[in-house]
Amino acid sequence: MKRYILFLLAALISLSGCSTLSSGDGESAEFFAMDTVMTVRVWGAAEGTAASMQALARDAEVRLSATDPGSEISHLNANGSGVVSEETALLLRKALELCADTDGSLDISVYPIVKSWGFTTGEHRVPPDGELSVLLENVDYTRIQLDGNTVTLAPGMEIDLGSVAKGRTGDMMADALRQAGVMSALLDLGGNIQTVGSRPDGSPWRIAIKDPGGSGTLGVLETSDAAVVTSGGYERYFTGDDGTVYWHIMDPSTGSPARSGLISVTVTAGDGMLCDAMSTALFVMGKEKAVDYWRSRGDFDMILVTADSEVFYTAPLMERFTPGAVDKYTYRVIDDD
Amino acid sequence: MIKTRTWIFITAVCAALLAVLSAALLSSRGEGTVVEILQDGTVIEEIDLSRVTSRYSFTVTWGGKEPGSNTILVQPGAICVSDADCPDRICVSQGWLTNQAAPVVCMPHRLIIRLKSPSGVDAVSQ
Repeated sequence: MKRYILFLLAALISLSGCSTLSSGDGESAEFFAMDTVMTVRVWGAAEGTAASMQALARDAEVRLSATDPGSEISHLNANGSGVVSEETALLLRKALELCADTDGSLDISVYPIVKSWGFTTGEHRVPPDGELSVLLENVDYTRIQLDGNTVTLAPGMEIDLGSVAKGRTGDMMADALRQAGVMSALLDLGGNIQTVGSRPDGSPWRIAIKDPGGSGTLGVLETSDAAVVTSGGYERYFTGDDGTVYWHIMDPSTGSPARSGLISVTVTAGDGMLCDAMSTALFVMGKEKAVDYWRSRGDFDMILVTADSEVFYTAPLMERFTPGAVDKYTYRVIDDD
Repeated sequence: MIKTRTWIFITAVCAALLAVLSAALLSSRGEGTVVEILQDGTVIEEIDLSRVTSRYSFTVTWGGKEPGSNTILVQPGAICVSDADCPDRICVSQGWLTNQAAPVVCMPHRLIIRLKSPSGVDAVSQ
């Protein structure tokens, strides 16, 4: 009997259309955090769940922002050493592992170079070679010491976790939602996509990949319970007096924008932080090294776009990726041997 | 003298025409043509680009931490930020908002111009 009353109640609530639980659009929240726009859409959760994600993003921002003088990272950069929170230490440890694993294609100590090019303020400039070679002397992640929660930087070094922070925050949001019993959620952290479960109807999420050479899409990737992160030269760039386009993805070995022949890298995996880090590192590596690296790891999949209009995607994506701009690009599959 | 049957016929034809017309109008409001302009997460303006008949522009001002304004240019089927006094002017360099593309965003002024419902996809990785 009780069950019937509950059923009746549920039916009544859904008819009245005022319940977040039964709403076809789910619940959504939009906010500015970590220097970007975040959109959270959650289905089948208690009211206010989507909005509560803002607190997680704010917390990450307060700890990690290299441009906020009050953050843990800014304190480290100003003092050369310090004790950080448990979560920041964990993130730093994972980031350093990825720096080492990618042999420095990812380097969280490249921050002074990024600053020198004006990407942190928007006052862009092409730094003279002499300035870059001086700054490059302090770009070396191996000289970052992490002992428990105590961090020590080499003299003159400054770090920035921008290449992993949004990915990690997406992971933390997804974990919090899963713990709250959410089966279906879509998080857009400024173009970093993190999904929880599948669409409310059970079908996979359909994530479009931005075409780096235009306003359309490269294709659509179907995904469930995974992150999709894209790095492209189009995200932040400026055109120098000589007409050259300079983008924000720096090659830690040269101190200049990475010219590896790639113009966009998309990475998908369950681990959002790995996706975030890899999208930058593979962009710096270039296609050949990225393919070797993918074969050696195998815990992510990728879509690479080259400057000469070729799109390469890894074999496991064949069933999930639908090419969209076939008139513009040649699509090729990367096999795993 | 027109017969009653003829009147019924004319009425039926008119009704059918009206139905087709309203269906066409409704479907033109479909996916991919309605954009919304958000300031600090709140929708301040909604425009159906398929119903814009002439070119016009208007200014949105922001009084937050980094105050300033953006000039939004609208023409049939298209919208962009044509001018802004933010430091990076990324919003202006983004150009026209097109069908499946990314939203036009001005971070300093907390401004977003986006398509209301991107057709067939849930999000754009960019």
